[in-house]
Amino acid sequence: MLGQYLPILALGVLAVLFAAVSFVASKLLAPRRPTSAKAAPYECGIVPTKEAPERFPVRFFLVAMIFIVFDIEIIFIYPWATIFEGLGLYGLVAMLIFAFAVFESFVYLVGNGALDWGPLKKQVPRTR
Amino acid sequence: MFFAQVAPDSIVTPDIAWTALVPHLVLAGGAILMLMVWSLAGRWLPRWLPSMVTAAVGLGAAIGSIHLWRRVTDADRGPFSAVADSVGIDGFSVFLTVVISLTVVFAALLADGYLRRERLDGPEYHVLLLLSAAGGVTMATANDLIVLFLGLEILSLAVYVLAGYHNRRAQSQEAAIKYFVLGAFSSAFLLYGIALTYGATGSTNLVDINAYLRSTVLVDDGLLLAGFALLLVGLGFKVSAVPFHTWTPDVYQGSPTPVVAFMASGVKAAGFAALLRVFVVTFGTYADDWKPILYALAVATLLVGAILAVVQNDVKRMLAYSSISHAGFMLIGVHAASADGTASVLYYLAVYSVLVIGSFAVVGVVSGTGDGATTVGDFAGLGARRPWLAFAFTVFLLAQAGVPLTTGFFAKFYAITAAVDGRSWALAIVAMLSAVIAAYLYLRIMIAMWLEGSDDDAPIRVPVGTVVVLGVAAAFTIGFGIFPEPIVDLARDATPALVNSP
Amino acid sequence: MEELVWLIPALPLLGFVLLVLGGRRLGEPGAGYLATTMVAGSFIATVLVFVGLLGKDAEERLFEQTLFEWIPAGDFSVDVGFLADPLSITMALFITGISSLIHLYAIAYMHGDKDFSKFFVYMNLFVFSMLMLVLGDNLLITFLGWEGVGTCSYLLISFWFTDEANATAGKKAFVTNRVGDWGFMVATLLAFFTFGSINYGEMFSGADGMATSTATAITLLLLVGAAGKSAQFPLYLWLPDAMAGPTPVSALIHAATMVTGGVYLLTRVNPIIAEASSVAPDVIAWIGLFTALFAASIAVAQADIKKVLAYSTVSQLGFMFVAVGSGVYVAAIFHMVTHAFFKALLFLGAGSVIHGMDDEQDMEYYGGLRKFMPITAATMVVGWLAIAGVPPFSGFWSKDEILLGAYENNVVAWVLLLIAAILTAFYMSRLIFLTFFGERRWSDGDPEAHAAADEPVADDGARSFHPHEPSPLMWVPLVVLAGLALLGGLLNLPFTGDTKILEQWLEPSLFGNEHIATSGAAGKWTLAIMSIVAAVIGVIGAAAVYIRRRVDKSVVEQPILQDAWMVDDTVTSFMGGPGRKSFELVSWFDRTVIDGAVNGTAAVVRHGGLVLRRLQTGFVRSYAVGVGGGAVALLVYFLFRTTF
Repeated sequence: MLGQYLPILALGVLAVLFAAVSFVASKLLAPRRPTSAKAAPYECGIVPTKEAPERFPVRFFLVAMIFIVFDIEIIFIYPWATIFEGLGLYGLVAMLIFAFAVFESFVYLVGNGALDWGPLKKQVPRTR
Repeated sequence: MFFAQVAPDSIVTPDIAWTALVPHLVLAGGAILMLMVWSLAGRWLPRWLPSMVTAAVGLGAAIGSIHLWRRVTDADRGPFSAVADSVGIDGFSVFLTVVISLTVVFAALLADGYLRRERLDGPEYHVLLLLSAAGGVTMATANDLIVLFLGLEILSLAVYVLAGYHNRRAQSQEAAIKYFVLGAFSSAFLLYGIALTYGATGSTNLVDINAYLRSTVLVDDGLLLAGFALLLVGLGFKVSAVPFHTWTPDVYQGSPTPVVAFMASGVKAAGFAALLRVFVVTFGTYADDWKPILYALAVATLLVGAILAVVQNDVKRMLAYSSISHAGFMLIGVHAASADGTASVLYYLAVYSVLVIGSFAVVGVVSGTGDGATTVGDFAGLGARRPWLAFAFTVFLLAQAGVPLTTGFFAKFYAITAAVDGRSWALAIVAMLSAVIAAYLYLRIMIAMWLEGSDDDAPIRVPVGTVVVLGVAAAFTIGFGIFPEPIVDLARDATPALVNSP
Repeated sequence: MEELVWLIPALPLLGFVLLVLGGRRLGEPGAGYLATTMVAGSFIATVLVFVGLLGKDAEERLFEQTLFEWIPAGDFSVDVGFLADPLSITMALFITGISSLIHLYAIAYMHGDKDFSKFFVYMNLFVFSMLMLVLGDNLLITFLGWEGVGTCSYLLISFWFTDEANATAGKKAFVTNRVGDWGFMVATLLAFFTFGSINYGEMFSGADGMATSTATAITLLLLVGAAGKSAQFPLYLWLPDAMAGPTPVSALIHAATMVTGGVYLLTRVNPIIAEASSVAPDVIAWIGLFTALFAASIAVAQADIKKVLAYSTVSQLGFMFVAVGSGVYVAAIFHMVTHAFFKALLFLGAGSVIHGMDDEQDMEYYGGLRKFMPITAATMVVGWLAIAGVPPFSGFWSKDEILLGAYENNVVAWVLLLIAAILTAFYMSRLIFLTFFGERRWSDGDPEAHAAADEPVADDGARSFHPHEPSPLMWVPLVVLAGLALLGGLLNLPFTGDTKILEQWLEPSLFGNEHIATSGAAGKWTLAIMSIVAAVIGVIGAAAVYIRRRVDKSVVEQPILQDAWMVDDTVTSFMGGPGRKSFELVSWFDRTVIDGAVNGTAAVVRHGGLVLRRLQTGFVRSYAVGVGGGAVALLVYFLFRTTF
């Protein structure tokens, strides 16, 4: 019965072999004439002349989190919506509980100041 | 064609037996409500409140389990399953539910002083703690491999975050990322194992799997055995069995100490719950196949844990390795694959949880602000500085070493008895050897505390919550060490059962 | 009155609890007196139980008292219970009696120590554990006491832990004892699976007709435990180091009581030994014999007064093992009791000397102390004569019994044991002569005294000693113990059946397993004379070496010592040359091979740990490799088990 998996095994072996062979081949065949520009971390594009621009405010991160919260909710609501009639009250209650739990994280984010906008107001955690 | 509709009315929705889910609901509901309240009104609430509420919730879950215990131990009613047979309530699961709930109480009490000292206080720790406990309880009561996996993930994800909860401490971050990466890695194995088992047996329901394996002789059991291997990897990782233990020392050392206390008690209990229920109970008919592997795991775990513990200089790492060797003792009980073996694991889990929480409670206060002072040298002279603290730690260490008149003695005793009953003489001897080696390590800490001087006279503050934990844990350890009968009886009554309620 | 048996361990436990709670507040000397009172009370309780047992017929002298059921585990159940029978009460009597005296002594000895009350906390805990060991009615309670005395011993050895050596010695004792404990644990499990119980009474009633192999296994495993606790070869090496503890501890734990635990245990399980193959008692006897000789030979070469006594204890315990192995249990217990008397006496005397000599333990600095410490000297002389086996002192009678038993068991063993007896007499005489006789090798800071005495003075000009008799609190116990060491032989005089009091008394505990001497009166007399001769040879030998060599001509030029001149020369040259070399070799063997083996085991564990630790790199990737590798290993294993 395991015999039917033989092709998969062969494929796996081939994949490993291919990676290994290309790696070794490039080591063996490629000419090596390093210059400082080539040795730079990114051997392409424009040579960086200054530090990357200043960091993004962490608030954007929180906004992104809010997006993910609702993103996930949508992902679950969508399949439910297709068969909600069949699931009936049970499905509705389950979905409500789920929605509540997800909404909860939104409340938490807001409570932590995710939507407090403006440059001057400092992010204050509740620690006193 | 691709979008062929399933007739809507063909979906059978399960009944929810709310009473069977009281512990789950209390823990998860408590977490959600707590997060809500503190998000809205957190700034007006006192700082000590979260840990009190959490302790109360944990206690509530434990008390809420009592009616379940009554029901499953009642000869007329007995064990039952709920929620479309995905949750099994039997003596075994109720026992572990109570153990996990009580570890939450302890971990919450410990956290109070710790979080305030480290200026980390807030509801998040407690919410995560309750959620992970809910996951643990789900694991303990799982009657279906998918539910088991669900519980494992709920438990693990919360604990990953807790491991990195000390956000100003690099080691804590490191612990979190290591635990997360390796944990996810091992979860993948577990999930694959579940898939293979499903492929071999046609069900993820433990009762159905068991019935199938009993009634059918597999012509080709390769798929099933591969499933065993992968399930063992995933669960072995959770209980830190060698060779899946590598994360343990790093994570224990880096994580906030109350979190470690919970990891070594509650998380471990959940892991062993799954191991026992899946292998001993469900795959019992295939014991001849998996027992040799558990034998090897137990031997490796016993020895590696004890030997590596001896060469450590950091108390948290020492206790991490010693927890590995304790896991080895519990694996002996799993290997026995008998009612006595299971009872020995349950007893071990119950008393070891208390011991390890007590031990880490002491470490947590001695480590001082920043949670960094955890070398053996930092414990030097503790006997002179805080005699009662040192006394409590000595009790826990002696119990871990298996000295008579403590609960630890009986734990080791029953584990070894289980091995001897199963005619695994060599395993019993390895276990004793491991106990002897590990004794040296506990002795080292005791020597440092009582016999070495220290010029460090910085005051050690012991918060009230910790005092309560230490007092209860020490009283438990000595009290039930002298009169072990109640806990032993409970562990013996907590038999696992496989039933799908009609 | 035997219902009072619970009181015997309860009183020291009460003392322990009281001292833990309020010892610091009681301070000095209150804590000491409280501890002493508790132990003395325990002694009185023991006497009451003893009287109670005496009032019964011999076969009814067995009283079991169950306090509560401790471990209920299916068919396995263990009670916390006490067994008062002649054997355990004999043990309890001398344990509590000697403990009371030593507690009293310690009040003075520990004077001024900053941890005065802590010392008595440990001491009371020790007495409690020791009593649990001997009074327990099953193996587990005995084991409990066994662990307890080990822990206390460890705590007390490293009592002055600020000195690294003391802490190390404590650790050594702990680790060595764990090896023995392991034997005890396995034996307990084995006993349970054989008899279905570990209660002594139930075990012994099931012992009759048990499998020889099982009995042998249990005996040998218990022997491992006993050898650890009673410092038998090769597990003896912690005991000499244990002398780092305060002297009352050495006297109580490492001479009189704890170290006899192994002998007690083997005597207790005599019905099992009786069922074992004859190999088992032979092993016991030969281990004891070898230890007796080996330790005695080392004792000859020691300079530290406490080390001499320590090796002497090891050697004497070897005698007791020989007795057990030869089946003469009464002789073992008899010697245990007399040894407790005279060895406690010698240790306390040594403590008194050390106390008077400003904590100096090297006998090279002693000499001529009898003038300055007459009471100590006189009592120690009694102890010396007792251990050397000079009649009518107690040691003679008990040692003679052992020699008789050994003779009837194996003549070779008897010869070797006799040599050990000669060595015993020799090294003890050496100790006494070096300490109390001969010239002063110390300075009292008064140069004229030396000029007048025309003596060489040890080149240690910076130190001066003022030896003095200690306070009555210290010498009263000495005198009492000296009396006991003198009269202890009355317990079991071998003349007629009626004078063998101890033998009759112990009979119910031995179930007829005692070997009854078969030699006729003439044979016994010959043996007794031989052992007297052995003692005399030892003493004379020592006198020849140590008194003759160390000037003081008026003493030396007596005719008897003149005759011994030749011996002196021979012995001296032997001692200085090959003899000393060989003793040093033994000492070296002890240090290098035996210590090495113990340290080596630890090193292997440690090294293994260090190697394994390299796998713990801290890199997630290598951990993942570990997990993945484990998964592959498991998969490969299961692959081989599949049925395709």
